[in-house]
Amino acid sequence: MKKSLPIHFRYHLLIIISVLFSTPTYSGDELNCVLCHKHRGLSRIDENGEFRLFYINQELFESGPHRRNKCKDCHADINRIPHKKAKKVDCTQECHIVEPSGQKKFSHKSVANTLASSVHGKLDKDGAPKEHQADFPGCKNCHDQPLYRPFSAFKGKKVPGVSKRAIGRCKSCHKNGDFAEDFYDHVTTRLHKTRFPKETIEVCAKCHQNKEFRERHKLDDVITSYKETFHGKLMLLGSEKTPDCLDCHIVAGENSHLIESKNTLTSSVNKNNLANTCRASECHKSAGAMLTGFQTHVTYDREKYPLQFYMLVFFKALMAVVLYFFLTLIFLELLRRLFPSFTFFKEKQRDDYHEYVKLIKDKDLDNQ
Amino acid sequence: MSKKYEPIIYKDGVRYFHRFSAHQRVQHVVLFTSVITLALTGFPLRHAEEAWAKPLYNFMGGPDVAPLIHRGAGTILLGLFVYHTIYWISIFYKKHLLKLKQENRLTLKNALLEILNLEMMPNKKDLVDIIHLWKYLLYFTNRPPRHERMSWREKFDYFAPYWGIPILGPAGVALWWRDELTHYVPGIVLNAAYIMHTDEALLAVLFLFFVHWYNVHYAPEKFPAATVWLTGYLNEHDMIHEHYNEYIRVMIENGLENEIKPQNFGGKEYEW
Repeated sequence: MKKSLPIHFRYHLLIIISVLFSTPTYSGDELNCVLCHKHRGLSRIDENGEFRLFYINQELFESGPHRRNKCKDCHADINRIPHKKAKKVDCTQECHIVEPSGQKKFSHKSVANTLASSVHGKLDKDGAPKEHQADFPGCKNCHDQPLYRPFSAFKGKKVPGVSKRAIGRCKSCHKNGDFAEDFYDHVTTRLHKTRFPKETIEVCAKCHQNKEFRERHKLDDVITSYKETFHGKLMLLGSEKTPDCLDCHIVAGENSHLIESKNTLTSSVNKNNLANTCRASECHKSAGAMLTGFQTHVTYDREKYPLQFYMLVFFKALMAVVLYFFLTLIFLELLRRLFPSFTFFKEKQRDDYHEYVKLIKDKDLDNQ
Repeated sequence: MSKKYEPIIYKDGVRYFHRFSAHQRVQHVVLFTSVITLALTGFPLRHAEEAWAKPLYNFMGGPDVAPLIHRGAGTILLGLFVYHTIYWISIFYKKHLLKLKQENRLTLKNALLEILNLEMMPNKKDLVDIIHLWKYLLYFTNRPPRHERMSWREKFDYFAPYWGIPILGPAGVALWWRDELTHYVPGIVLNAAYIMHTDEALLAVLFLFFVHWYNVHYAPEKFPAATVWLTGYLNEHDMIHEHYNEYIRVMIENGLENEIKPQNFGGKEYEW
């Protein structure tokens, strides 16, 4: 009989083999976190009874902008595996990526500061917390793990993916590692919008279409009214060119984290700046300043939008009158075909068309 | 243009009555082609949320091409509107004003009164016919109304575009040239144009689909399609039902007084 290995040795061998053969597939995985997190079923029910999935899809992670980060850059409190419950990630902490333009360690702190100064910030101008703190968004309310969407521009044509011709030129100098590829992705992805307009609307709608949220903050249903505009219609039809929330509501030259209330003087939708926002070179560049009189978020509220309200009532009423009149008529007419000769008041069975012909002949038409 | 049409022709033993000249039939073809094109390129936008909108819009060329088709068809329709207006004015001049002139009765008052004698102009007889129709439909009488050459339904169909195009057309032009327009008018005009264009379009399309297509497609004696828009001639059976007074008049004028058929109401074999 063959002698089997001691049980504890077999257990260790298993770990050693699995560590050996599951070499980290991306450079950031120093602690070999993927050893466990590659399993699709890795999950638990947390204290609040919510289902949490800890599976990491490496393929997706590799095509996102955080692929050069080490796990520990964000999950800083994890020092050994297996680990205890980890803290929530703080996006404003510094990570090990050195930002090439300033040779400083990278952090999202400046983005957080911009957000704090926007209409979505948690504090008002005087530094006092705004009402309903929980309603104000943090990073992850809008952001999930983004994916790179690089594109190649060649001979005036834009196609998705990395351009071999372009990257070849980069690689003539930047031969080491994946620097050229990373930089190419980083730049070309930012040359178009990360999200389709439809996705942007969905992100904003998470809060702005929620009825209780709107009532708490006294806001109109801007998502529904946006969808009524031609901008919104094209968004629904999948256009990538149509403007979404961000295109009009971001302060010119700023990023999407600086959305300001229309009452703020620097806001892109403040009535003094609105004309220039609409007349951005990509949009209504030949429009007159009076274009700003166009009301984008029409709710058909009788007091706020009387013109639209009464026009709508007029056209709906006209439609109802015309269609009900004719549809009733058609219905009765079809019914009449079943009983063509029935009547409550039988006229004399006049076979008098000869007389009638005579009448017509004498042009006595009114007398029929 | 001034081709003479036989008022009555015979084909396969059936008597046909002249209704529309080739000139009018071509105008109708241009009208419905442009309207259908406008509806197919416009309604996927109006109802962008519906599942059918995206495939239909992409079939019509998508966001880049469909608007061009829509504007092209709109331009043709507006052109037809202007053309048709000139057309009936020229008919009015030739057939009405010249007659007044020859009779030496051409004054402004007579000319204006003469407008009321135009074929498509609604008159007292139409009101009588509408009331009579309701009496018939509600079983108060068993005799259907006797219409002239143009019944009130045809006049309503005719004036529907005359109401619709002046609303839809300028609103569409305003939305098309929105940037240029806002140098002269406030932007809220575009809000008004938007409602005018989309809601009037819905009324027009629903009316055409239910009412006009009932008259010429769905009605049992017409199904699957009437042919008068193609041939210009209406058969005797439908002529008796739809234009009995005109039928009698044409028969008399053509010396067929003895062959006039009764309106055969009240008979067992009665059909609408």
